[in-house]
Amino acid sequence: MSFLSKITDFFEYLAKRHRLLPWVFAYVALIPLPFILSALFNEYLIDLVNRICLFILLAVGLNIVKGFCGQVTVGHIGLYAIGAVTSAVLSLEPGGFGGALGFGWPIWLSIPSAVLVTACAGLIIGLPSVRLEGAYLALATLGLGESVRIFIAVTPALGSSTGLMMIPAPSIGSYTFDSFTSYYYLVMTAALVGIYFSFSILQSATGRAFQAIREDTIAASVNGINIIKYKLLAFVLSAIYAGLAGALFAHMPPGYLHHNNFTVIEMVTLLLMVVLGGIGNVWGGVIGAIVVAIAYDQTKDLVFYFMDRPIVIQPLVFGLSMVLLVMYMPRGIGGWIEDFQRNRRFIRKSEERASGSTRNT
Amino acid sequence: MRLLNKTLVGAFTACVGFGAAAAYADDIRVGITMRMVSENGQAYGQMMMDEIKGINEAGGINGMMIKATLMNDECKSDKGVANANKLVFQEKVHLLIGSSCSSVTLPIVDVTAKAGVPQLVPHSTNSKITQKGSEWIFRIPVSGRYYGGVNAKYVGENIGTKIAYICAADAASVGDCANLEKQMKARFGVEPAYRADVQEKEVDFRAHMQKIKSMNVDGILVAALAETMARALVQSYEAGIGADVRRIGSSSASNAPVPKIAGDAAKGVFFAAAYAAADQRPIAKLFNEMVKSRYGIHAPDHDFSQAYDLVRIMEIALKNANLTGSLADDRTAIRDAIANVKGYQGLASGPISFCADATPQCRDGNRTAVLIGYTKGGEDFETEVIARVTMEEDFGLE
Repeated sequence: MSFLSKITDFFEYLAKRHRLLPWVFAYVALIPLPFILSALFNEYLIDLVNRICLFILLAVGLNIVKGFCGQVTVGHIGLYAIGAVTSAVLSLEPGGFGGALGFGWPIWLSIPSAVLVTACAGLIIGLPSVRLEGAYLALATLGLGESVRIFIAVTPALGSSTGLMMIPAPSIGSYTFDSFTSYYYLVMTAALVGIYFSFSILQSATGRAFQAIREDTIAASVNGINIIKYKLLAFVLSAIYAGLAGALFAHMPPGYLHHNNFTVIEMVTLLLMVVLGGIGNVWGGVIGAIVVAIAYDQTKDLVFYFMDRPIVIQPLVFGLSMVLLVMYMPRGIGGWIEDFQRNRRFIRKSEERASGSTRNT
Repeated sequence: MRLLNKTLVGAFTACVGFGAAAAYADDIRVGITMRMVSENGQAYGQMMMDEIKGINEAGGINGMMIKATLMNDECKSDKGVANANKLVFQEKVHLLIGSSCSSVTLPIVDVTAKAGVPQLVPHSTNSKITQKGSEWIFRIPVSGRYYGGVNAKYVGENIGTKIAYICAADAASVGDCANLEKQMKARFGVEPAYRADVQEKEVDFRAHMQKIKSMNVDGILVAALAETMARALVQSYEAGIGADVRRIGSSSASNAPVPKIAGDAAKGVFFAAAYAAADQRPIAKLFNEMVKSRYGIHAPDHDFSQAYDLVRIMEIALKNANLTGSLADDRTAIRDAIANVKGYQGLASGPISFCADATPQCRDGNRTAVLIGYTKGGEDFETEVIARVTMEEDFGLE
């Protein structure tokens, strides 16, 4: 039996004991990660893991609306921006260094407020989905998402071109989450809880309604599913993830936001994570986020020299991999995972059948 | 199944690779993060790498080689911060150089301040960079607060005070607009006759230009990045605004795409910068020839000269720093050695000096701006030096 099968068996065993047990185990197993990375490699990798956790939140959230419910949205990055800027502005001190708006709210109040504001924005971004589908919906959401970025770019109170500076890091009492390691525990917890709720949504009646809408809107409607309600709910749930990821991004040291962090390029990178991972597959989205973030990190200083002139090839690598993925791996890594799980079920059934027939003889 | 297992093993091997980067000991490690997405961005980075290679070929720094790592931040703050973290914590650099864009440099200042790594700024002009109070930051280019003063003085005394402002949304341009506006108000008591805040990569300025035309202004400030500025200049003539209305450029007017794209519309545009290709000093002529032969650039802009000056200042500081082999001590020694650079005379418009205090007065090294005018646009553009102005070190500070 392979290593992967053993791990899967172990988690299934834990799940049979209590449905939360695998998650508690995963959480405990992830606690020493920063110390391992720091001891074996270097601190930078903790920063990379922190960013991966934010990408996971974003990808898993995008998967709800795009993967589960089948709504083509390209405005997710705008929701991420709303979450980030809202939490930053609410927590910044009035009259701070950057000259931007500030309300001086406690961070533990600003983060949930940002999530709430983003959920409302998600509802607005989802409204076109009531009447539009496919490429038209993609265009509408792209416009809404991009208009958020442009609004931030031209509004001095929101940082405009200089950006929002010196956004405070969260703290509990005298302990401040201002290092890579301390911040890891915030984003890792958020990512793990996000994945758990994504599975919960997928396995609930709401998740089944989403999937019914994805497969056939008319058939779902005929079966009594309120299409408008569930479409909007998918956008709102997705926005909650984006809002939380954005707020955590804003407070991550060094605490700086700029509208350039939320461009269409970032949206395409996010889509790449979901497509690579496998649309509609939760673990696929997680793996997609991890793979893309690491690949991005490892290729960003790749410079190819042509006639003694440097050419940065990362954009080419990413663009080409997106095209190849869609052509040759349309189900993404999630497709592999589904095949793996199906094979395991088949092997297990075969073994049970074989052992049953042996007993009978 | 085997494939999955192999993938896991491969992923682990890749992870091991992460840690291997900092396995060299006797080098001086320098990290560079810059905007490499534009043609010029690559050339600036390449020039730094070539100059560092030249230092190594000449024997290095007191027998030690410089190991430079060049990274692309795409002019995006999150990528710049990630690069800075990687260079500081993974590559364990002694010195960080970056970035081209003010919006990227601003957050990196906090990264280097916290980690205790000296940072040399090659191109960013936003005044706030040195106002954060970091002990580790040193700026080679002229700060935006000085540019504002130089432009305001020349504009108010020679052109007029009825000025229209076109301000693009990038950090440097917003800073340039704000500085000129502030200085015009302080010196001449005037507000902008017209002000338009436009997108960083705006393409259509015609509506603004028609309004400006109807207002009979004395001059138009176009504060934008090079390509955007070129489009605005061309459209100002298309709107029928005559050459008698002077066009004032922000510091990025120095970049070659402005005269190349704007063509004849670039003629008469003047701007404050840190280097003039029309500089008649022998060192400047040699530099122009070197850039032309190496990179095929007709006339280098001030970002080339600043990249060159930065490497020279870094070389001086590294030679003077007493390096012991302890990373933290060496970083401090390099910081102190940079702070001791006084009166460096290179290609820049004026001498570059630093001092120990973590104040803008000490860390904005170059206080001299040169006013440059385009006398010809197009591929073979030409410039002239209008004036050279040195500002007081406190100038532009609240």
